[in-house]
Amino acid sequence: MSENGGNPSLSDLADLNRIVHEPARLAIMALLYVIESADFTFLINQTGLTWGNLSAHISKLEGAGYLEVEKSFKGKRPSTTLRLTTQGRKAFHDYAQRMKQLFKDVPA
Amino acid sequence: MMNPINLKEVERKAFRSTYQDGLWDIYWGLLVICMALFIYRPADGYNAWNTITMALSFLLLYGLFWAGKKYITLPRMGQVSFGAVRKKKTRTLGIILGVFVLIHVGVVGLSIYSWANPEVSTILSSFIKSPRSELLIVASIGSLIVGTSMLVIAYFSDFLRGFYIGVMMALAVFLMIYLNQPIYPIVIGTVIILPGVVLLMRFLKTYPLHKEGLSNE
Repeated sequence: MSENGGNPSLSDLADLNRIVHEPARLAIMALLYVIESADFTFLINQTGLTWGNLSAHISKLEGAGYLEVEKSFKGKRPSTTLRLTTQGRKAFHDYAQRMKQLFKDVPA
Repeated sequence: MMNPINLKEVERKAFRSTYQDGLWDIYWGLLVICMALFIYRPADGYNAWNTITMALSFLLLYGLFWAGKKYITLPRMGQVSFGAVRKKKTRTLGIILGVFVLIHVGVVGLSIYSWANPEVSTILSSFIKSPRSELLIVASIGSLIVGTSMLVIAYFSDFLRGFYIGVMMALAVFLMIYLNQPIYPIVIGTVIILPGVVLLMRFLKTYPLHKEGLSNE
């Protein structure tokens, strides 16, 4: 929050969840919010991110407790399933609500 | 300019992307062809053996479809599990198809009973005077059963091409029964398959197998 009594609406921007706010992570979270779970390949195809890029963002989201990463084997092939945690779902929902409020009355 | 994120649209696009491989089109098209090849026998008419071979060919086709999904689509497209709304839709589809099957069995049972019963048979014969009209009624009922079932599947599966496939399948069944010729369903089956083959080729080009994809890490 602003300490010098600035515009309260604008000072709210500083409080945005920066982990969710990053465009690539926002895309990952938006997709995982509407589905139950997906693997790496599906996320790459849907978001258009590269393997390395996706991997880095997944680590960040996992570190924040927003993402659950489950490693298993399907036959001989390792498989990584990703899903949002309850905390992750709440973070995305709160972020979306906040953005809606922030840009409620944009002048034409 | 950026478009606003529509989460319902994100989910719908993700779901419909699972149909990009064209395997459904190929499966339904081959199903129509198998139906024409195995059930149509001008010399001996319809018999149990034809029905058994057709059912076996349907099972084989489903096996091929499943293998295609497992070995072609999933390694390229990735695996996904959709949310509660989709699962509810699948359950509803299962219930509706179950009711459909019961209605179909009822219609077939009632027809057999009616024709076997001399009194009802006489009444029916007074309405249906020529064998041509009988064929017309059977062809209409058959195409209605197949068409509506496929349209319901298309609606609940969000499979847009399914509506077109449903209409084509209904037409195939109608022509096969009414004109008593297998060539029409074979041609219609091929027409259903062709876009599927094009989609499959495009899918293989768009989603090549990645080295990373094999490890999926």
